[in-house]
This record gives sequence, structure tokens and C-alpha cells, in this order.
Amino acid sequence: MIELRNVTYKYEDHPVFQGISFRVEKGQKVGIVGESGCGKSTLLKLIAGLYTPASGEIIVAGKSAAAEITKKVTVVMQSPMLLPMSIRENITMGHDYPEEWIDMVIDAANIRSWIDTLDKGLDTYLGDRADELSGGQAQRIAIARAICKNAEILLLDEPTSALDGENAACVLEALNRYAADKTVIHVTHRPEHLSGYDRIFSMKAGKLSDETAGVIIYES
Amino acid sequence: MSVLRILIKRNRIWVAISIILSLVANLTNMIYMYYVGELVNKIEERAVVSMAFIVLLAAFILLSVATLFMNQYVGRITAEKMAHTLRIGYASKLIHRSAEQGKECDTAAAMSVAQNELAQSDGYLTNTFFDITGMLFTGILAMAFMFLQNVLLTLVLLIPTLLILIYVGFSSRSLSTIVSAAQDEKRKMNQAGFTTVHAFPAVKIFEGEELCKKAMDERLVSWTKHQTKVGRFAALYNTLSGILSRVPLMLLLLAGGYMVIKGKILMGTLILFLNLQNSLTQAIMNLPNWIAGFKVFTTNLSRIEIEKRG
Ligand SMILES: Nc1ncnc2c1ncn2[C@@H]1O[C@H](COP(=O)(O)OP(=O)(O)O)[C@@H](O)[C@H]1O
Ligand SMILES: [Mg+2]
Repeated sequence: MIELRNVTYKYEDHPVFQGISFRVEKGQKVGIVGESGCGKSTLLKLIAGLYTPASGEIIVAGKSAAAEITKKVTVVMQSPMLLPMSIRENITMGHDYPEEWIDMVIDAANIRSWIDTLDKGLDTYLGDRADELSGGQAQRIAIARAICKNAEILLLDEPTSALDGENAACVLEALNRYAADKTVIHVTHRPEHLSGYDRIFSMKAGKLSDETAGVIIYES
Repeated sequence: MSVLRILIKRNRIWVAISIILSLVANLTNMIYMYYVGELVNKIEERAVVSMAFIVLLAAFILLSVATLFMNQYVGRITAEKMAHTLRIGYASKLIHRSAEQGKECDTAAAMSVAQNELAQSDGYLTNTFFDITGMLFTGILAMAFMFLQNVLLTLVLLIPTLLILIYVGFSSRSLSTIVSAAQDEKRKMNQAGFTTVHAFPAVKIFEGEELCKKAMDERLVSWTKHQTKVGRFAALYNTLSGILSRVPLMLLLLAGGYMVIKGKILMGTLILFLNLQNSLTQAIMNLPNWIAGFKVFTTNLSRIEIEKRG
């Protein structure tokens, strides 16, 4: 369960949210659409515990301290944010996972066949050659990383915006399969990617309205 | 086309003026030295020093100072122009690339290039590039000038100098390999730093702080090792070449002194040679550093893509 109560957030003197409230039940799949700059990424970063609100309260899976919240979520961002390290390190981020778990993750993220073509497989270094990766490969590594953490809440911030149609479909398919029993908030500018979602919100200038019910959830 | 060639081509007028000024400055300086030698010769021979000679000498002193000033001044401007072409070229490449591919440019990589390759090339261009070309000119001109004056004495100077050049060729190659390895380490280290900053949200969410810290520590240690090696070898090679550089001078003093005593050459000619050998040996002794520096510079340039149009 995710709940924002009367949350205010601003960058320096640029206010993004002024008392926003928002609630997502456990296991629900929620989509958010809206023009760029309206605050979608900021909302996800707040829910991920990357930012602390100026006022109001954020409760994610029963936790409200930012550091605790971060443990409960896993995120795929717009850009893959890979590090100059091996594929394995990019997926596990240095944590110890059982080899079978990593195997499962690789299948779930749809990168098995690609990794099998690499001489060093999972230990291929992604430093200087990071630009030799295709956008799809890089983003699927990011997805593998998100799946590997296996948190109960999955936050997606336009995970396919840098990909072409075929790659986007492939990445989405991998994500949906994994997310079947998770709570999901998916920010996208392509509503067709939200089919089968429980609720779809549209965001405008830091305000959310529930498109599924046609009700404005919050108005300042 | 290599980036350096583009830089030179886009600023060809300035580069041409710099080169011409460098030649003129060197020539006037040498002619001035030549007249000083002549003056000593005249005094030694108790010959009459004409008014015209004094005026000529004074004129060349002034001319030499003026052209030296102009040379440095224009050299700085040209270097700055080339550095500017490089920076702007890189910036417009970034803009074009992201416009063409319709995707955001990789900020971490761009920042890393700006802080490393671009900054270093920039510094090299403005601080070193034209000083080096100037000194190389001086060396070559000095040698040509000496040949015109006295072939035997020039050979006495040149043969040990050429031997030193071979040593220098060896040491500079060895040094530049070490330097560019260290440079590569530094680039990797900075790249790791920048990428970590860029990917910081991911590092936080996936609790990768330990991993990043470890990776950066490893990079730092590795870079420090390379850097120490560079320092050690540079010191060794420079000390050796410093000692070797005295050899031509000693030989010149011995042979030249003997020739003066035997009346084969005049004192003024020896003084002229002593002055010029300084330019020559200085140019040759500095070659290892210059070649290493130039290699680093061109490696840096090869990593910077600049916009080739416009
Ligand atoms: N780090 C930041 N510093 C200052 N302003 C920011 C920052 N990040 C985003 N903003 C501003 O906050 C607003 C919302 O941004 P964002 O949440 O990224 O929007 P969206 O994801 O919907 O495109 C925008 O006006 C943006 O310019
Ligand atoms: Mg966004």
C-alpha cells in the first residue's frame, strides 16, 4: 500500500506539489500519464524515498522514513543508469544473490540469449563499451536489476521511452510478466501501454485526476 | 580528417601568421647573436667598429625583442582560437548528435570528456603547443645557421647531439607509453566518478554505495600507481638527459677553445656557437617531454569528436 497525505514538494523555489494526496492499494496496477514537466518523475522519486517532502506524509508498505521506503521499492527509470562495471555487478549492485536467482532474473528480463553470445557472459565489463550496447540491451539490464531486488513495489518511469517499438514491446512484456503479483506505478506518455491496469491517473501541473473514474482526486 | 588538422585548417590564417612570426623572431635573434659575435671579433682584431655597425646591432636588438613579443602574443591568440574551435566543435557535435538521434546525450560521458580530454587539450594548446613549435624552430634554425658559420665546429656539436637524440628517442617512447597508460587510468577513474554521480538515484535505490566506493577506491589506487611510475621514469630520463646534454657543450669548449688558440676561428665565432648550442641542446633535451606531451595531446584529441561541418 502506498499513501501520500497532503504532500508538498519544491525544487528550490520551484513548487511541484502543493498538498497532493494519493493512495494505491497493495497489488494494484496504476498508470500515470501527463505532459512532461508536470511532476511525474518527482512523484515517483518521492515514493521511492529519494526525496523527502517539505510537508505532509508518505507511507510506503507501512514505512515512512525515506531510507526505509527505499528498501520497499524497485525502480526502472527512463535512462538505464548503468555503472562502468560488469553486467553482473550492474544487476546485483554488489549484493550476494544465489546463482539460481540471478538465472531467473536473466530469463525474466529477456537477456539470456544476448548474454549467451558474449565471450565473458555476465562478467562482460560495461565500462568503455557501454555505448556499444543498444538502448534495448541497456534498458533490459536495468530491468534485470529492478527484478533482482525483488521489492514488493515496482515503480516505472517511462521505461520504454528511449526504445523503438519492437524493443519497447519486448521490455514491456518482460516487465508485465514479472510484475503480475506486485504493486505497480507506471509513468508513461503512451496510454496504450497501460492496458489491463486497475487505475489510470492523468497529471497536470502537480495535480492528479483519476481518469478511470473521471474524478479529480485532489484540487488545491 | 583528424581533429588537429581541422583545428589548424579552421584557424589557418592565425597558424600561418604564428609560424611566420616564429621564424622571423628566431631569425632576427640569430642575426643579433651573429652581430654580437662579429663585434667581439672586431674588438679582438682591434678593427674599427663603424657607426653603421652599432646602429645595425641596436636595430636587431630592438627587432629581436619586438618580434619575440609579437611571436608570443600571436602564439597565445592562435592557441586560444584553436582551443575555442575545439570547445565549440565539441559542443555543437553534442547538440547535433542528440538532435539527430533524437535522444538525450550521455551526460556522464560528456562531462567526463569535458573535464578530462577537453580540459587537457585546451591546456596543452594554450600553454605548450606554440612554445614547443617555437623551440623546435629555434633548434632547427640554430643548426642551419651554425653550419653556415663553421662546418667543423657544427659537426663537433652535432654528432654527440645526434647520439643523445637516439637516447632521447628511446626514452621518450618508453615514457609516453607510461604516460598514456596513466592517462587512461585517470580517465577511467573520472569516468567512474561521473557515471556514479549520474546514476546516483539507481545507486541509492539498489543500495550500491559499497560497490561504487570499492570500485572508485580501486581506480584511485591503480591511478596513483601509474602516476608514481610516470614521476619515477620522468625523473630518471630527465636526469640522464640533463647529464648527457652537457657533453656537446664540453666538446664545443674543448674543440672551439683549441681552434681559437690555434687561430683557426675567432673568439666571436666561438661565442656565437656557445649561444646557439644552448638553443639546439635545449630543443633536443626537451624532446622526450614534448613528444610524450604531444602523444597525450593527440590521444586526447582522438577521443574528442567535434562537429566537422561549418
Ligand atoms: N532537480 C531539479 N531541480 C529543479 N527543478 C527540477 C528538478 N527536477 C525537475 N524539476 C522541475 O520540476 C518539474 C517537474 O519535473 P519532473 O518531475 O521531472 O516532470 P515529468 O517527469 O512529469 O516530466 C519540472 O518543471 C522540472 O523542470
Ligand atoms: Mg520524467
